[in-house]
Amino acid sequence: MELEEMQAVWSEMSTQLEQQKKLTDKMITMMTQEKYRNRLNKVAYPEMIGAVICYTVAILILINLSKLDNWYTLLSGIITVIILLVLPIMSLGSINKMRNLDVARNSYKQTLIQYAKAKKRFQKVITASYYLGFIVMFTIMPVSSKLINGKDFFAETKSVWTLAVAIPLAITFFILFSRWVVKCYTNNISSAESLIKELEETT
Amino acid sequence: MSKESEFTRIIKENEGVIFKITTIYTNDQEDQNDLYQEIVYQLWKSYDNFRGDSKISTWMYRVALNTAITRLKKEKRRGKRIEIDKVIIRQTEYYDTEFEERLKIVYAHIQGLNELEKGLMLLLLEGKKYEEIADITGLSPSNVGTRISRIKQKLKSQIVKK
Repeated sequence: MELEEMQAVWSEMSTQLEQQKKLTDKMITMMTQEKYRNRLNKVAYPEMIGAVICYTVAILILINLSKLDNWYTLLSGIITVIILLVLPIMSLGSINKMRNLDVARNSYKQTLIQYAKAKKRFQKVITASYYLGFIVMFTIMPVSSKLINGKDFFAETKSVWTLAVAIPLAITFFILFSRWVVKCYTNNISSAESLIKELEETT
Repeated sequence: MSKESEFTRIIKENEGVIFKITTIYTNDQEDQNDLYQEIVYQLWKSYDNFRGDSKISTWMYRVALNTAITRLKKEKRRGKRIEIDKVIIRQTEYYDTEFEERLKIVYAHIQGLNELEKGLMLLLLEGKKYEEIADITGLSPSNVGTRISRIKQKLKSQIVKK
């Protein structure tokens, strides 16, 4: 379809839309009210739930820090707490950056650039979160073993299943999954990068 | 006229414009309704700052297009929703099937463009002059011209491919 034909179809649609005005004053007023917006619900739920879980676990570990009575369990506990505290800040912060762009003052080009940059940052945060999450998966094992069962994970674990099967299995799974994650996000990041480059080059 | 009634009048006058923008930037009815509400909300929020600094249409297109591109795709579902479905769906009942098919082709062409081109294309189809398109998009008028030429080429190549 040529542009001229597209313009003709568009114009016909515009005429039809003009004849079908259906919005009422009440509907418009309701749309302007915060309570009818989906914004609260729009806050990324998975990240919010994740943040609550992270902080709950971090607080539990901090309260029971004295129970981690040898250096390696204590170190695991500290690493776990740091990651659990940092992860939600990183992900919610990057989401916030994407949401708080000035849509009223910015031009379309500025918004596209800022949004692409924020999106790129968000994708990187997700990738980093994934790796940090994997570290937590290991550091939390001795901590939870100590806090829940009172056992020293390294000294008292005798099960062949845990050491010889479960951990290599987890690592294999991580390697396979990380390949997919990296591939997926690399594509998104490079498409955001090319858009930024293209827009920043133009006046 | 009060601020509220003035705003309501502007939205009513331009409801078709908002509808067209939401159609281009969403894939389903639910998403479209959400975006429609979000645009009206953002317009209301920025209404005080607008104060006639620019043309109403420039302000409206700018806010609506910016809202459309910054809206997180996953940010949707749930929440109280004003039933504007009937407002929007009804228009398809008026279309004859042939026109609907042609309209689908137009939308398919637009969907094939990138975000910047999509915005430019919409403004072009809306009959905006290069100067106003430049004002809304932040590009220079000459750059708008160059990019629109590229879009035309792209459309032609889409036709050749088909």
